Amino acid sequence: MKDVTRDQLEVLLAEALEEVDPVPDFVVAAAKDAFIWRTIDAELAELVFDSSDGLVGVRSQETARQVTFRAPGVEIEMMMLAEGGRRLVGQLVPPQQATVELRHGTALQETTTDAVGRFSFTDVPTGPVSLTIVTPDGGRVTTEWLSL
Amino acid sequence: MTPITLTPSARGATSPGAPIQVDLESLSVIEAPVALLLQAAAGGDRSAWDALVDRYHRLVWSVVRGFRLDEAAAADVTQTVWLRLVEHCDRIREPEKLPGWLAATARNEAMRVIKGQQRQTPSTFDFDLADEMTPALDERLIDDETRRAVLWAFHQLPTDAQDLLRLLCTHPPLDYQTISDLVGRPVGSIGPTRQRILEKLRALVTTHLGEGQEGKE
Repeated sequence: MKDVTRDQLEVLLAEALEEVDPVPDFVVAAAKDAFIWRTIDAELAELVFDSSDGLVGVRSQETARQVTFRAPGVEIEMMMLAEGGRRLVGQLVPPQQATVELRHGTALQETTTDAVGRFSFTDVPTGPVSLTIVTPDGGRVTTEWLSL
Repeated sequence: MTPITLTPSARGATSPGAPIQVDLESLSVIEAPVALLLQAAAGGDRSAWDALVDRYHRLVWSVVRGFRLDEAAAADVTQTVWLRLVEHCDRIREPEKLPGWLAATARNEAMRVIKGQQRQTPSTFDFDLADEMTPALDERLIDDETRRAVLWAFHQLPTDAQDLLRLLCTHPPLDYQTISDLVGRPVGSIGPTRQRILEKLRALVTTHLGEGQEGKE
């Protein structure tokens, strides 16, 4: 073993780690499928608030993670609730009429906001999600993907 | 912007004044510059995207797994990273730094998920618990004696040394600046620390193999 160089040792370790923890096939397949969500015409909303930030050590079982995205003219607030299957609830600020698309996995759900800009999706599968807001004039705003 | 066509049928089709055509199959996706792959993927080329995934999926997985998330959570974080890249294909300013971008995105998302788990689980929950059990399983799966010894030795190292070493042996490799950002240590300390940890690893492996030999005699 003494004649094994550090580089060789690192290669051995890399091989060993990859062998015991290979990337699962479904993870690679999902990564390739992610390409179907390529958007070319939507404005990307920026994450401006995440209740997960700055909460190290704070542990409460009741609070769901809340996030806020911002694009010119609109803020999108949302949170994932765990009661009876995953439920995503959110609101557009200022309140406005829009179609809301929820992207997850390889599927898409669609709903419309109510009079005060609220929306919700039920039975949301686990995995990353992203919302697209389609305004009546056809403008599209998309949030970054998040594992909520 | 120069149009780039990335289709198998583009092979050999070069004529003066024609758009630059890159044939991923003849160039081999292993050699294609990352900037070209990103540009082609941003333009809708699925094979370029697949090539990016093939090239970097092990790297992303290694970084995510370094945070000791379980497989389901690690899969979610990994998928988030790839979905982010889909959105950012045409926004990566320095394509040669893509490995660092992927690693940083993976780290940030993993940290957020860990904080989320801490919020949703009893405070006694210890997410290192599963990791304590992995060495035995690991060793059973690896049949090569030396690699088994290396893996055993790896798990004897302090956790922060394991984390650093994991980042140092990704495929493709991360540069020291990226690793420095990920672990929050000065970039100048990465090289010397790496040598020290590898020396310790070698000593452990040697001892372990030595004990194994005695046991057989």
